[in-house]
Amino acid sequence: MKNILVVIVFVITTTIFSQNKQVLYDFGELPQSLLLNPALENTHKLHVGIPILSGFSTQIGSSEVLLTDLFAVDNQNINDKISQVLHTLTSDDFMMINTQVELLNIGYRLNEKTYLSAGFYQEIDAIGYFPKDVLVLFTEGNDAFLNRSFSASQIGYKFDVLGVLHAGITKKIDEKLTLGGRFKIYSAALNLESTNNRGTFTTVQGTNNIYTHYISNVKMEQRSSGLFDTNDEMIEDPNEYIQRTFLSGNLGIGFDLGITYHINKQLQFSASLIDIGFINHKKNVKNYKEEGSFVYEGFEYEFDPNSNRDFWREINDRLNEELPTVENENSYISWRPTKINMALRYSFGEKRSEICYDNSYQDFYTDAVGAHFFSVFRPLSTNVALTAFYQKSFSKKVHAKVTYTMDDFSYSNIGAGMSFQIGKVNFYGMFDNILSYRNLSSANSVSLQLGINFIMN
Amino acid sequence: MKYSSKFSVIASIFLFFSCAESLDFNQIDDYVNKPIFTASLTYFTVVPADFFDSTGTIQQNSISETTNFDALQSQFVKDNLVKLDLDVAIKNEFDREVTIRVEFLNNNVTVYTFTPIIIKGNTLNYKYLEEIEIASNSAILNTTQVKITAELENTGIQLNLNDPIEFEFKSSVTMYIESSF
Repeated sequence: MKNILVVIVFVITTTIFSQNKQVLYDFGELPQSLLLNPALENTHKLHVGIPILSGFSTQIGSSEVLLTDLFAVDNQNINDKISQVLHTLTSDDFMMINTQVELLNIGYRLNEKTYLSAGFYQEIDAIGYFPKDVLVLFTEGNDAFLNRSFSASQIGYKFDVLGVLHAGITKKIDEKLTLGGRFKIYSAALNLESTNNRGTFTTVQGTNNIYTHYISNVKMEQRSSGLFDTNDEMIEDPNEYIQRTFLSGNLGIGFDLGITYHINKQLQFSASLIDIGFINHKKNVKNYKEEGSFVYEGFEYEFDPNSNRDFWREINDRLNEELPTVENENSYISWRPTKINMALRYSFGEKRSEICYDNSYQDFYTDAVGAHFFSVFRPLSTNVALTAFYQKSFSKKVHAKVTYTMDDFSYSNIGAGMSFQIGKVNFYGMFDNILSYRNLSSANSVSLQLGINFIMN
Repeated sequence: MKYSSKFSVIASIFLFFSCAESLDFNQIDDYVNKPIFTASLTYFTVVPADFFDSTGTIQQNSISETTNFDALQSQFVKDNLVKLDLDVAIKNEFDREVTIRVEFLNNNVTVYTFTPIIIKGNTLNYKYLEEIEIASNSAILNTTQVKITAELENTGIQLNLNDPIEFEFKSSVTMYIESSF
C-alpha cells in the first residue's frame, strides 16, 4: 500500500507535460520528426531505426508541486506537507504520462517527390485531473465544510496502453508545397477512462434533523477495457498487456496530416494534425455507471410498538434505488488525444550544399530561428505551448537546437538537442528544461528523447 | 569525431552530472490520514398522544424504538475509528422532565450506554454532547443496533392527550478517523 501511495504521489507531483516534442519537431531531418508532421521534408534515400533504440521519449513535469515539497529531508511533519500540497493544487492541475518506444521505424524514397515511412511503436499515455474536492473530502472529511458542495465533475482520467502500427507518405507537390499523411492502426491493450462526470455532495443545516446531506444530480461513468479477463479476474501479467499491443487488443484507426509550405526561400511554414482517430473497445469491457440523487437526514423513529421497521436497511435500499450503480459490458469508443503543431521557420546564415538521395546537391542555410505552437486536446481541457527556437547546422550531418518554451506550467523551460551522423549511423538526443538538471528532485519538468537510426542519404 | 565528442560531453553533463536533492520516501510511513466525518443519525418528534395506549386512556411513561445500525461494522471503521461524538439537540415543550436513554446494542445486548440525558420541562433549546474515546470503549465497535428510550417524569398528573405540545429530538454522529498506510 505504501509503495502504491508513493507511486501515486510521485505521479501527482510529477505532472507531466503534454506530449510536446518541441526540440524534435522539424529538427535535423530526423526520421522521428515525421511522426510529428508527415510533411516535413528530408533528403534521405532510406532510413531504418535501430529496433527499440531508434526512438525513446518520455516527458515528466510538475505544475506546482515538486518531489522536494513532500519528501525533502527537512524535519517537517509529513502530514503538514501533504496538507499544504493539497491546498496548493487546484482542480485545473493534472498529471500526465506519455512514453513511446519505437520497435520499428523504416523509410524509403520511392521517387524524387515521394518518401514512404512506416513503423510500430508502443505508447503509454495517461492523464488524470486533480480531483481536489474528492481528495479534500477523503483527507479532511465533511465536518468542517458545512454548506460546501464537493463536486464530482473534477474527476477525469484516461489511461491508455497501446501499440501503433503506422504507414505514411510525404509528397512534394511542387517547390513550395509538401503534403504528408499517415495512417495508423491502434491496438489498445488497456484503457481506463472517466470523463464528463457531474454531481455534488453537500451537508447543510437540517430542518428535521441536525444536518441534511444531499447527493445531487450525479452522473458518473467509469469505463475500462482490457483490465479484466473473461472470468472477471483482473489481469496482472504485464506480458499479456504487451502482447495485446501487437494488433490483438481493441482496435482503432487514425490519421496524421501535415503540410509544409515555403513562403520564400528562407521562410517556411509547417503544420500538422496528429492522432485524429479513435479506438473501438469491445473486448474485456467493464463499465460502471452511477446516476441519480439522494437526500439523507437520518432515521425517523416512530415509537410504534406494532412496527418492526429496519430503518438502516430502508436507507440502504433507498440509496440503491435512487442512486444505483449499474455495471455493463457495452462497447464504447475512446478518442485519441489529437495534437496540433504549427511552426514558422526563418533560415539564414551561411548557405551550403548537402548531398541528396540522387547524388544531387541541395542548398541549405546553417542557421534558423522560429516559433512553434503546440496544442493537445484532452478530456477536460486543451493544453497549449509556445516555443521559440534557434537551430544551427555545424555541417550537413551535425545539427543542434535550443528552445525556449512557455506553456501552462512554466515560463522558463529551456531545451536543447543535438543530432549527428557518423557514417550511416545517426545519433540524437534531446533534453527539455535543462535548467532542472541542477536538481532533478525539485524539477518542474524533465523530458527527453533519444534514439539511433541508420540513414542513407 | 570531434562532434561526437561534444555530444558525449553534453550527454554526460545531463545524464551523469545532473544532481538530485536527497529525498526520504519513508516519510510516508509517518503519514496519518485524519478525516472527520459527520452525519445525521436519528430524529423524532413526539406529542402527548404517543405516550398513550391504543385506547387513549392509559399513559405509558416510557416508549422506545430500536433499529439496526451497521455503520460501525465496516472493517475500515473498526480499524481506524478513534473517537465518536454524538450531538443531540432537544426541544421539550412538555411540562415535565423527560429522560432520554441511548443504548448501543449488539444482538439486543447493551455494549455502550449514554449518560442519561435529562431535559427539564419547557426547555426549548437543549444541547448535549457525548464524546466516546474508542480506545477506552472498544466494545462500541460491536454495535449493530441503536435503541432510544424516552421516559416521562412521573408527576402523578397525566398529560393532556390533545395538547399540541411537542418533544423534538435530533442527533448526529461525528467520526474521527486516523488511518495510515
